[in-house]
This record gives sequence, C-alpha cells and structure tokens, in this order.
Amino acid sequence: MRSIISFLLLVIIAWGVALSLDRIPFGEPKTRLGDYYIEKGRDETGASNVVTSVVVNYRGFDTLGEVTVLFVAAVGLSAVLATRRKKQKGQREPASLVLNAGCRFLFPLILLFGAYIFIHGHLTPGGGFQGGAIIASAFLLVYMGCRGRRINEAGSKTVESLSGLVFLVIGLIGLTMGGQYFLFNFLPKGELNSLFSAGIIPIIYIAIGCKVGSELGGIIDRLVEESE
Amino acid sequence: MTFLQDYAYYIGAFGLIFIGLFTMLVKRNLIKVIIGLSILETGVNLFLISVGYIGKGTAPIFSKAGLEARRMVDPVPQALVLTAIVIGVAVLALALSLAIRLYHHYGILDLRKIKEQRW
Amino acid sequence: MVGPVLLIAVPLGLAFVLPLLGLLSKRMVKYIPAAAFLFNLILAVRLLPEAMREPLVVHIGGFPPPFCINLVAGPVGMLFSALIALAGFTVALYGLRYIESGAKEKYHMLYLFLLTGATGVVLTGDIFNLFVFFEILCISSYALVAYLGDRASVESAVKYLIQGSIGSSFLLIGIGLLYGIFGTLNMADLARQIASASPVSIFVPMALMVTGLGVEAAIFPLNAWLPDAHSSAPSSISAILSGIAIEVGLYAVVRVIFTIFGLSSMLIFFVLLGVLTLLIGELCAFSQANIKRMLAYSSIGQIGLVVFAMAMATSLAVSGGLFQLVSHTLGKGLLFLAAGYMVYRSGSMEISSLEGMGKRMPLTSLAFTIGAFSIVGLPPFVGFPSKFLIVRAALTEGTALLTVLVGLVLAATVIEGAYFFRVIQALYFGREKADTERKEAPVSGLIPMFLFAALIVVVGIYPQLITGLIDSAAAELLDKLGYIRGVLG
Repeated sequence: MRSIISFLLLVIIAWGVALSLDRIPFGEPKTRLGDYYIEKGRDETGASNVVTSVVVNYRGFDTLGEVTVLFVAAVGLSAVLATRRKKQKGQREPASLVLNAGCRFLFPLILLFGAYIFIHGHLTPGGGFQGGAIIASAFLLVYMGCRGRRINEAGSKTVESLSGLVFLVIGLIGLTMGGQYFLFNFLPKGELNSLFSAGIIPIIYIAIGCKVGSELGGIIDRLVEESE
Repeated sequence: MTFLQDYAYYIGAFGLIFIGLFTMLVKRNLIKVIIGLSILETGVNLFLISVGYIGKGTAPIFSKAGLEARRMVDPVPQALVLTAIVIGVAVLALALSLAIRLYHHYGILDLRKIKEQRW
Repeated sequence: MVGPVLLIAVPLGLAFVLPLLGLLSKRMVKYIPAAAFLFNLILAVRLLPEAMREPLVVHIGGFPPPFCINLVAGPVGMLFSALIALAGFTVALYGLRYIESGAKEKYHMLYLFLLTGATGVVLTGDIFNLFVFFEILCISSYALVAYLGDRASVESAVKYLIQGSIGSSFLLIGIGLLYGIFGTLNMADLARQIASASPVSIFVPMALMVTGLGVEAAIFPLNAWLPDAHSSAPSSISAILSGIAIEVGLYAVVRVIFTIFGLSSMLIFFVLLGVLTLLIGELCAFSQANIKRMLAYSSIGQIGLVVFAMAMATSLAVSGGLFQLVSHTLGKGLLFLAAGYMVYRSGSMEISSLEGMGKRMPLTSLAFTIGAFSIVGLPPFVGFPSKFLIVRAALTEGTALLTVLVGLVLAATVIEGAYFFRVIQALYFGREKADTERKEAPVSGLIPMFLFAALIVVVGIYPQLITGLIDSAAAELLDKLGYIRGVLG
C-alpha cells in the first residue's frame, strides 16, 4: 500500500520535472555568470583555478556556511554519542606485522598528499575540502590497520576551532582594510600560477584543509570508539 | 534514441533521485533509509553538475600561463556541488550517530515498531 | 556598511571559539550565548532606523551583484533579526540554570549555530546561500532535539531528520532547476528574469522549493515531525524551535513566493491550506494530555493562521501575519519556558500532574497564564491586536469565501481557549499534591519569563510601538520591484 502511494507520488514528480527539464538543454552554454567568472576570474582574484576563485572568493560566504555545517555535524555527533563512553576494551587480536608496518609507513605519505592538494588549491583541481578528506582517510587507515592508536582529542579540537577562527578572522580583516567588504581579497595577488599568489585564497584553503581533516578524523575516532 | 543519448545524465541523475526517494519512503530498516538518503543526495549532486556541462568543454583551470579561455564548463555548479556534498556528509554523519543511539535504546532498527509516542 | 554582516559573524565566531574558552574556564562557557545575542540585539536595534529608510545591501567580497553574494537588511530582515536576537538572549538566560545534564558545552555551541543559521536565512539575498544557512538551522535543530538522549528524543530526532533531509533535497533540486533555466542564483536577478518566463516551466521549481522549505515551516501535510520533536526537546529548545525555527522557515517560503516568483494576488490554495492547518492543529491540541505536545500542536495551528494571513497577499493581511509571528514568538516562548520549570518540578509532562501548581509556583503559573491568554488572543495582551488585524484584513476583502474562513478561524480560537483554560483550571483550581511548599523556579528562569511577559503586555497595550516597523516590512515583502531596484540598482 505504502509502496503504491510512494510510486504514484514519484511518477507525478517525475512528470513535473520532465516538463521543466525541457527548458534546460544538456550541453548548451546557458549562463552569463559562468562566462564572467571565467573571463574576469584570473584578474580579479589571481587564482588560475576558476572553481577555487568562485568557491573561496566570489561565493566565499557559502564556503563559510559549509565549514559551519560540518562543524555542527561533528559537534552534534559527539553530543548525541556523549553519554555512551564505556571504557571496556573488547578482546581483539592485534593486527599482523605487515599490516601494522604498512599502515604506519603509508600514513605520513597520505598526509603529505592531502596537504599538497589543499596547498595547491588555487593552481590545480582540488582544494581544502578534498585535501581534508584525504587527511581523514589517512587517519581511517591507521584506525583500521593498527588497532589501538587514537587521535589526541584535545589537539584535534584545538586545531578545528583555530582553523575555523582563522577563516572568520580573515573575513573580518577584509572589513577593516581595503574595500570595506567582508571576505575582501586584501593580500597582493602575485603572479599567476605561482604558489604565493591569489591573495587570501591559499590561506583560507589551508585553514579549511586542516579543519576538515581534523574534524572528519574526530568523527571517525568517535565512531570507532563507539564500536569497540 | 537520441533523446536518451542527449539527456542521459539527467535521466541517470533523476533515476538515482527516485530510487533514493522510494527507498526512504518505503523501507522499514533505518540503515536502509539512511542509504536511501545517501543515494538521493548523490542523485541531486549529479543533477546539479550536469546542469553546468557545456559540450566539448574542459575544466576551468588555466594551467599554463597564457592559456586562452577555450570552451570551459561552467564553474558555478561545481562550487555548488562542493558545498552540497559536504552538507550531505554532515547530515549522514548525524543520521548514523542517531541510528546508533536508537539501536542502543530499542535493540531493533525497524521504524514501524519504534513508535514510543502515539498521536 | 559594517553592520549586518556582524549579526552573523559575531555569534559564529563565538561558537568557533567556545571550545577554546571551555579549555580555559568551564564556568564561563554558559554566559557566551547570552553575551552574543545581547550584542546582536543592540546592533539590530541600532540598525533598524537606517534599514527602515532604505534596505542595507551588503556585498560580500566586494564584487557587484549578481556576481557575488549579497545580504539584504531591509525592514523584514531587521525585524526578524531583532526578534531572533531577543528570543536568543532571553532563552540563553533561561538556559544558564536549566541545562544541567549532558554535554553542556555542546549545547551552547549548537544553540549559537541554530540562531546564526536563522539570522543568515532572514538576511540573505541569494538562494543557494539561503539553502546553506537553512541547513545550518536544520542540522543544529536535529542535534538539539536529540540532546536529552532518552528514547523519545532520539526517535523524534530520527523522524525529524529523515523528513527534513527529504525537504532539503527537494529544495536543492528546485535551486538546480532555477539555475539551469535562468542562469543566476541571486534573488533579485531571478525575480527580474522570472517576470518574463512562462508559468509552466517555473511551476515545478516553485513547488519543489516550497515543499522543501515547507517541511521546516510545518505546513500541513509536511508537519508530521513537529509534535514529537517539540515535545521531546529540552524546553528551552522547544521555545526556540516553536518561536524561531518554524517562523524562519515560513519567512523563507513567503520570500520565495512573493519576491522570487512574484506572485502578488491572493493564493487560494494556501489560504485553504492555512485554515486546514489551523483547524487540524487546534483540534489535535484539544485532545492532548501531555502539555508539551499540546503546545506543539498549538504551534502548528498558529503557523496555519499565519499562512492564511500571508496568502491573502494584501498589505493589511501581510502586516497581520508578521504581527502574529511576533506575538507567537513571545507567547509560545513564554509558554514553553514556564512549562519547562513546571514539568521539572512535578516530574512528569502530563497535565494532570500540574494540578495545584498555582500555589506551589505562583509566579511561573502567572507567566504561563499570561502566555496562554496572549496566544488565545485576549486583550490587553499582544495576541489580540495581531489576530484582530488578520480578521480585519480578511473581512475587508469582502468575498464570501473569506468570510466563511474567518468564521472557521474564530471557531478555532474558541477551541484554543477551551484547552488553554483547561490547563489554567488545573493549575489554579486543581487538587494540590501532598507537598505544598512553595518552590519557585530559580531567578535565572523567572527573569526571562517576565521579560517576555512584560513585552507581551507592553506591546499589547501600545501596538503602535511596532506597527510602523511591521507595516514597512509588509510593504517590502510585497514590493518586488522595489527589492530588485534596491539590490541591482
């Protein structure tokens, strides 16, 4: 009964959406927003990756909101799981030597790769969120491969808070300097395609990368602890 | 046939959306509902990205100095999807933590049977 | 131009910094939300006169719209920001003593995030930014509903999360369709382009967006989550959810319909839906024995009344709707705060266990009574001018349909009066329990309650204090061309 009603509802929605999709031809250039960003993005922001200049500079407020959403989820998750801290350690056999050594060997390499991605966010595809996710996957590898190692919780919370604060403070500094706008790009834009270019964008991406990495690592840590 | 070829991405994206919606509305196990949520969000992100595609365009990155703007795809939906993916991950994390708590309280994950509160 | 961004940036910054301050001194943490919203309240009141003359448009990043995100702080935005800051400050004071168990630091962080998300929703001028701040609001409320951690809370939070995330996905699909058709995300730019588009192609995005936002705004039939969620949350959070979160959701629906899609004549569908929501809410509330569930169903009813008012789309009706939102925040907030300590003292949420509270907690019961009279709409409390304005707006239209609907609204008011008087009768005339020593709510609970009560009485006697602001807010909501001109020049 429920399936039939749901199916009918979905058919109605599908028909409505198909009517609207008629107006969005696939593969045609449609928007003047995209053209503006591609043409003027390099000069106005100094980043050669146009997606980065859109994410951090033109629509930086959305990125601030996104960082906040992830923070809310991390805090909410630890608040919901808060009262379940049983410290009983189950009997688990330790991982084999090959697995243990291999994971510990790979861990700094993956961290380095993640850091590379978010530091070069304005030059190559990638950026803070992608690099942060890779860093978190390094932590996950260590949790799964070498049992019993844990993140330093106070350190990870400090990194989270400080990086979020760095992002916000850079935005507020833009209010006082230069053009009096929040998130104004007030540092020199430098030469295109060099590492120290694009003003505040690399700094913001480094802050986001650290924040997302430590946050997702904290979430994974909390869930792994829950499962033991 | 060309209709299917032209709109393949839209059909795929909305197919995922409808599979996800159907799963969320019909399934009884909470973990399956959460998986449905994940599929739904993936479908929405795929739809957003395919809105921005421009035929035979490349990534909007000026990798060599002096590269001129050839046909490049629209960067705005990519920025939107970055945000949407992160928001989806956040909701999923919270949903899973709530599922863990629910399991600790009730011992089962069947949504029809978990009805502590009547009307 | 410093102003409106700080309304969002300061609470957000304090929420980020809160764990670090918690490492320094655990006792200081609970004062931070109150300080943040006091700052917001002062800033909002200072910016009000300027915003009423001409909407303050802030470009984030310094680029011209529509190539940047912009905030629009006009009368509507500042009215809601001031209301959010006021409610946030008051309930933060209440939370100083009320929240004793659980991870307190996280409660305060989530509280700051919830209200930051709400402020962002009312101030923004860009639909994707609306989605992001709306998600901040929703996710914080999912986590806060589950805060107490018992069976009912977690179950309510799960059901709320599932329905809320389906709504958010619908909203995102609608935004994607709009971007694909019109190529822009800025509300003013969309409003300008939609004026010349065919109705068929914009009907579906509008339906999807209104459905998505309607889940949070608790319009029937999308409000199945509300009774469970508002009754299982801690009472301070119930006050904020009923008083701010669903109203901000309704503001988003109204903004999308009036400004972006530009519909400015009476919307029969929503008028009928509003009255239906009102009747269902009040009838369900009448049959409840649990006081917080009763108040939650009453919130559904009040939102239905506001939908009825807004859907009439005349400036008098929209003013009535906005005024009703203000009086609902004050009244329902007061009711939940009072019920919070009454439930805490008596140990159960059943109305029968509150008998005789009038003698044990006289001040709290008095506050509850004031809130109840205000929601029902008795003079001299603020519920009376707001309901009267809505009824007057409906009767001024003069059509037969509206007259019948006004009759139904008045019938619903009678039902409201019935169940609230039942509770008041239990409070004052019920049999007392064995221990009748007077154990009043603590001072940190009484001050917020009487702040709300004082505002209810003062604004009820002198509605002229805010009718000027409400009228210019209504004018801004209905004036699509003025909005476009203000943002894009």
